[in-house]
Amino acid sequence: MTSKQVESVHEASLEILENVGVLVRNQEARQLYVQHGCEEEIESSVIKFPRAVVEQFRQSIPSSFTFHGRDPSFDRTIPEDGPIFCTGSSAPDIFDLESNEVRRSRSDDIARIAHLVNELPGYDLFAISVTADDAPDGQQSLSRFYPALKNCQKPVYGSAPSIDEVFDILKLCFLIAGREAAFWERPFICLGYCPVISPLTMDVESTEKLIRFTELGVPCYGVMAPTAGLSAPLTLTGSLALTNAEFLAQTTLEQILKPGKPIIYEALPTVVDVRNGAYSPGGIETGILLMGCAQMADFYNIPSGGFAGLTNAKSSDVQSGFETGMSSVAALLAGLDLLRIGGLLDALKIFDFSKVVIDNEIALMLKQAARGIQFSEDNLALDTIAETGPGGTFLNKSHTIERMRTTPFLPDIADRLSWSQWKTGGAITPQAQALNRVREILSVDNPAVFSAEVDQSIREEFVGLVAGDSLPIAASMKPI
Amino acid sequence: MEKEKILENLAFAIVEGDEDKAVENAKAAMEAKLDPLETVENGLSKGMDDIGEKFGKGEVFLPELLMAANAFKSAMEILKPELEAQKMQTAQKGTILIGTVKGDVHNIGKDIVSTVLETKGFNVVDIGVDNDTLSIIQEAEKAQADVIALSCLMTTTMPAQKEFIEVLEEMNLREKYFVIVGGGPVTQEWADEIKADGYGESAVEAPVLVKELIRKK
Ligand code: B12
Repeated sequence: MTSKQVESVHEASLEILENVGVLVRNQEARQLYVQHGCEEEIESSVIKFPRAVVEQFRQSIPSSFTFHGRDPSFDRTIPEDGPIFCTGSSAPDIFDLESNEVRRSRSDDIARIAHLVNELPGYDLFAISVTADDAPDGQQSLSRFYPALKNCQKPVYGSAPSIDEVFDILKLCFLIAGREAAFWERPFICLGYCPVISPLTMDVESTEKLIRFTELGVPCYGVMAPTAGLSAPLTLTGSLALTNAEFLAQTTLEQILKPGKPIIYEALPTVVDVRNGAYSPGGIETGILLMGCAQMADFYNIPSGGFAGLTNAKSSDVQSGFETGMSSVAALLAGLDLLRIGGLLDALKIFDFSKVVIDNEIALMLKQAARGIQFSEDNLALDTIAETGPGGTFLNKSHTIERMRTTPFLPDIADRLSWSQWKTGGAITPQAQALNRVREILSVDNPAVFSAEVDQSIREEFVGLVAGDSLPIAASMKPI
Repeated sequence: MEKEKILENLAFAIVEGDEDKAVENAKAAMEAKLDPLETVENGLSKGMDDIGEKFGKGEVFLPELLMAANAFKSAMEILKPELEAQKMQTAQKGTILIGTVKGDVHNIGKDIVSTVLETKGFNVVDIGVDNDTLSIIQEAEKAQADVIALSCLMTTTMPAQKEFIEVLEEMNLREKYFVIVGGGPVTQEWADEIKADGYGESAVEAPVLVKELIRKK
């Protein structure tokens, strides 16, 4: 979009908020909006937003967002350190690593994935990729955050079904940090919520989460998930205008509660498959809509993020590769700062170990693409060109040798062997190669695991907690 | 206009999803003193069957199916007074109460299921999202539902489907309703485990499932 068009989308969003308004089901939120200049239609619970109110509150959104890791070397601030990459979150099912059958996900899967993500350099954050079907009663969130934090020193992102569970997560974090104050200095988790149910509705409980998490001061922000053709207009422009209006409504509440609260403009936008109503995040339109979100976020001077690189594929195959690659490259080129790319198949429903490794490689390729052509006098290499001259070779020049390990991206999964080398090497597929990497990483003890004392204090506090260990792969693991 | 022609036009208006034409032709049918029941069966329902078949083959898309259902409903409003006056009843296909369970606000799949059921001529009562067990039962009693359809999209809200069936049993109401379940993480195994009467993986399976159950009644 041209900058004029971006402004038109913004204007359209203000018009939607002023004239159509948002149905706010949460009473406390309605009160807060009204106290700060919005109007409530009493019978319908619809809140109308005068443009001045929206314009005022968006001014206090900071221009950057920082994620802290348990290890400070993993801290990331966007947009400065962007683009950064993250795993997909909360898949209810998983391809079992040993049997390759799909089954419900468990806490020991989370431990293994955390271990992997800690080692895979493409990922900057770990969004807890699966649910924990083995969670003891009342420990739903603990059974996800504990194995995640135990096995990964990168920033951990997750959600919690209720406020009570957040207090448990915080207690866990204080024990890990050693002191409560130490955690608040560098809070190494981030929580997500989805108050917006498109179109233009804010739910009771998720809005309650927005309010309570924001008050607590734990890093958190919301995600919008419109489906064009169903919960948003089918045209991408209309869908973007609506999503943007929903973003502004949500963030106005955040800024009312805590002016200057850092957030990310984040979305999971899709277009319905009109043939049968299927949910299709693998569509290229997800990438295109995220380009739009990145531009809107730029206009507001705030960081952007989104679920770029999702797929509808049922296994880590050709479809999963091209869907993940195509929409993520689109979003990246439009300047999206945070890409939630990794590991999920079947429209966020199944996690796959080989995919998370393949997506690590895609993330590294995208980081390379984002660096682009790094112009400098030195990189022009005029001396080396003169030295080599017509018909020479650059292969043996010190210019090449000095840069050969850092300048080109050297893939680990993509195969570049000759036909016969590939054939005699067992004609290894990318998926099999990725699983080899999984096997390698998981067979080595995880250096990220916290000390025995910390672990003991956690297990004393939360009786009956899941083990949370990343187990080595059974020798019986089925080769692909 | 002759009878055959009117019915044909009516069916065609439904297939085209043309609400105005459907209403116009329904009026024409009444003016021509056609039998209202026959008008429904050989006009309106025939149109729905035709478009349903096309949808099944992938020739028409979901929004077109919804338009057809709309046209059907509006034309039905024209025929209703006459049907009632003559104390006629269209073949009752059954009432389905549908909603998502407590704690779950994902409504997109549920909405699709409920519209697909409507297009197949079922009486659908949609109670929206985030319903607790007792209010679902209350609504089912009120609607005199034959089938209760529970949608849920999260593993964390699936236990509410199980609880629902347990409570129905405790209240001695289990025999009164068929309970079917669906939504992202729900599987046939889960449906069997919680003793639901049926499971559908996608919206198009819902009417088949419901028809089968109601026939058993
Ligand atoms: C869009 C979406 C949202 C939107 C919902 C908008 C809306 N209007 O519904 C928003 C952003 C609000 C949202 C919120 C949340 N979501 Co959500 N969401 C999704 C997503 C991506 C798509 C859902 C969808 O619309 N599918 C499309 C429809 C067409 O498919 P369907 O619902 O499965 O229905 C079809 C069939 O299942 C069947 N069917 C459905 N119901 C029934 C019933 C019967 C009787 C029958 C026969 C058939 C049937 O027919 C339908 C049509 O064919 C799913 C992932 C997924 N692929 O399902 C996650 C997903 C379900 N959400 C998830 C999560 C974690 C959440 C949140 C907790 C996130 C948070 N941090 O707050 C909240 C919880 C909100 C709540 N309390 O319910 C997880 C669930 C994990 C789990 N524990 O199982 C999922 C799997 C995504 C993920 N990996 O993170 N979400």
